[in-house]
Amino acid sequence: MPAPMLSLRSLGQSFNGQTVVQDLTMDIAQGEVFGFLGHNGAGKTTTIHMLTTLARPSSGTAIVAGHDICDDPVAVRRSIGYVPENVRLYDTLTAAENLAFFARLSGVANPAARVSDVLALLDCADLADRRVAAFSKGMRQRIGLAQAILHRPEVLFLDEPTSGLDPMGIKMLRDLILRLNGEFGMTIFMNTHLISEIAKTCTSIAVLSHGKLVFHDRIEAVTARYGDDTALEELYLSLTPVGRLSEVA
Amino acid sequence: MALATSPAWQIARQSARFALREKTVALLAALFVALVLISAWLGWRATATVDSIYADAAAFLQKSGQPVPQNPVLDISPLSLMRNMSVYVALIGALSAIVIGNRLVGLDRKAGVLPLIGIRPLTRSTYAKGKIVALGGLILLLALISGIIAVVTFLLLPAVVPNAAQWVQLAGFMGVSALYMAIFGLVGLGTGAAARSETVGLLVPVTLWLTLTFIFPQLTANLNPTAAINPISALAPLPDTPFFHAAGQVLGPLSLADAYKFASASLLDYLPQGIVSPSFIPPIAELVLATLLAGAFAWSALTRLSMAQGDYNV
Repeated sequence: MPAPMLSLRSLGQSFNGQTVVQDLTMDIAQGEVFGFLGHNGAGKTTTIHMLTTLARPSSGTAIVAGHDICDDPVAVRRSIGYVPENVRLYDTLTAAENLAFFARLSGVANPAARVSDVLALLDCADLADRRVAAFSKGMRQRIGLAQAILHRPEVLFLDEPTSGLDPMGIKMLRDLILRLNGEFGMTIFMNTHLISEIAKTCTSIAVLSHGKLVFHDRIEAVTARYGDDTALEELYLSLTPVGRLSEVA
Repeated sequence: MALATSPAWQIARQSARFALREKTVALLAALFVALVLISAWLGWRATATVDSIYADAAAFLQKSGQPVPQNPVLDISPLSLMRNMSVYVALIGALSAIVIGNRLVGLDRKAGVLPLIGIRPLTRSTYAKGKIVALGGLILLLALISGIIAVVTFLLLPAVVPNAAQWVQLAGFMGVSALYMAIFGLVGLGTGAAARSETVGLLVPVTLWLTLTFIFPQLTANLNPTAAINPISALAPLPDTPFFHAAGQVLGPLSLADAYKFASASLLDYLPQGIVSPSFIPPIAELVLATLLAGAFAWSALTRLSMAQGDYNV
């Protein structure tokens, strides 16, 4: 059996004595599109921050693409791409200038050529010479995705990638994610609370509630057991505080 | 080649370019260069006027068969012609350095790109190194422009030609000026990284600059604020009272503006006989020590900057 692409081992994070993420243990195989569900404040973004080495865990560790996030963060960074929930870039620069800077920081050999390739791949070559200050949320999200794949990462982390996008933007982004996973074999780790997106894109899901992992399974098993999107939503609600509150009511 | 592609160099290059594009930075740097030009012109004009009057007087005396005295311009060191430059370094130069330092990191924080930089294959110390290199480069650029202005001024003045040792002293003055600006630039860089808000990040080093430039010289040498920025009055002897002797002993090592003025006066040959710095640490050593401390502060603040939550007012 091949080694998992991501392996979380008792991963935890506390801020000022308050536990935000507690004892996360799970494996995610190579080539998966993994949906990480949870209510607002459940600890999804904190988990991504730890896995992308932006924040050091308070306890436990994780192996990402064969590298320990605590012992070898630079090697982890070489293997990952990350798109934050709100993609922010240097507004005074054009999309191509922003991307070229990030490409150089990632050690990409020929930044200009790679930027053109990636923009063409994401079907947004027309944005190259435009300043990002005037970009819509959807355009920023695409450039955000472009900066994340410049160095051909093995794992791509997406934090609420569809947040704030219109239905057209959501579909476009979903298609891109599936393409990156299908054509380039990238393992995708996606934070979301959109059940409909999970069903359409993910191969496995996990649910986080108050920093604790309360569910983790492959999507086929979930749909076989619980049925369509509506049933998936019922499952999610039953695992989160909102669901429990509705039960009480 | 390896340097040009290193992540620290990329950070430094990009940061310096961004800082120079900022209107506030460009305006302050332009103001500093303009004031250095004015100070050089004033020194050149004053010396040229004395020299011209002397030439007329010498011609008249020669024609009337009287002895011609030595040109008074030659009685003073040509370097002292540049003494006003130290005022502008202490004022606008230090302020420009604070703004440059602050913007070098503030631009990343304001743009919100720290997470995108933080996930690149570079260490936090590489990021810190890049920012410090950018600051050093921009400050050296300011010092270099001032140096070129000084050299051109001397080359245009036929009456005052510095000798080899004096050219070295001039280079030393430029080095000390760069060191002085670097102290404030590093503090600006450090507070720009450590402060939670952009305003505090700028207000703290500006308050420090005001204290060091205008308040400490009053306490260590009883100088009023106007005199404190004047290179001649600022080098007056310490009033002979127990308070000023005590204040000089205690605050002298912290009075960086005084240290810079004494170092400049010594290098530009205008330090009056018998006047010594209120500090027990030699002025240049004091500036080196302050640069190291400011560098340690900037390094610590930059390497501790949260790449996940480092945006302003988070």
